[in-house]
Amino acid sequence: MTDRFLYDPKREALSAAKAKALEALLIKKGVITSETVTKVIDFFKTKMGPFNGAKLVARAWKDPAFKKRLLKNANSAIAEMDFPPVMSGAEGEHVRVAENTSSVHNLIICTLCSCYPWTLLGLPPYWFKDPVFRARAAREPRKVLKEFGFDLDDSVEIRVWDSSAQIRWFVLPEQPKGSEGMSEADLAEIVTPEAMMGVARVELSPASRGYDPKAQGF
Amino acid sequence: MQTKFEHYATTSMLGAPDSPPRCNAKLLFHHEWEARAFGMALALSRDGFFEWEDFRQALIASIAEWEKEHGVDRVNPEWDYYERWLLALERVLKAEALITTEEIQAALAKEP
Repeated sequence: MTDRFLYDPKREALSAAKAKALEALLIKKGVITSETVTKVIDFFKTKMGPFNGAKLVARAWKDPAFKKRLLKNANSAIAEMDFPPVMSGAEGEHVRVAENTSSVHNLIICTLCSCYPWTLLGLPPYWFKDPVFRARAAREPRKVLKEFGFDLDDSVEIRVWDSSAQIRWFVLPEQPKGSEGMSEADLAEIVTPEAMMGVARVELSPASRGYDPKAQGF
Repeated sequence: MQTKFEHYATTSMLGAPDSPPRCNAKLLFHHEWEARAFGMALALSRDGFFEWEDFRQALIASIAEWEKEHGVDRVNPEWDYYERWLLALERVLKAEALITTEEIQAALAKEP
């Protein structure tokens, strides 16, 4: 990532000035307001609340016996949680959980339909339904993960799970280092739907991430 | 299913060569202007000033031009995704007659 320090600062300054000029002109012409762009950026920054799946992950991290039950029979482990009835897989769907370890990484896709465990993870991200993404994730998962900013070591085996109408998969991500002392509720807050699909790691907090203080992800 | 336009727009690029840089699944910006350029294109398309697909085609074209000039056989530190994005945005704004070249030049001339 040191590459960008080789970048010509004049080019950078010109881009910044141009972006500023375009926005100012659009505001002046009444095409957008001074709030418009900030609002769009804020949309991407806004985090969605914790999901039921995140609560399962947090409990599994805190309670090894629960984790064992979750991996063995997810539906009955989910029934232990105080989720509303519709959230516990009462629609006849079977939930299976794939555990990430230091040597195995799991990725969930659905090549046939949109079999997403939405009761646990929330509504499916649009890209989960995208045929190009699904086909590529099945064919070249390592490359697709890299496009998500997820660079896996070659020694890590990638397993791709195809959800079907009968079986809905989700991923039990690895617990981030340094989170051992956190409460179950706090842990649930940091688990994202992307992590439970296997396209992202769970991170302690945005501030503790990354090497570049100027870079912001949202 | 309800889908926010913002969600649709960014994810429609996944798996395609014009997909924005990401870090751990999140969109990645190194400078404020990149986020501003990103937000402008999304807001204008969402509000109907141009089709998202038209912007994407302009972006794909601006990326292809760069690749043709610089080649794609090595990692090039000169590559700047959002510079291509900004160029695509400028072209679409001109094509839709929302902004003229003269206006941009006049605005840039005022910058210190």
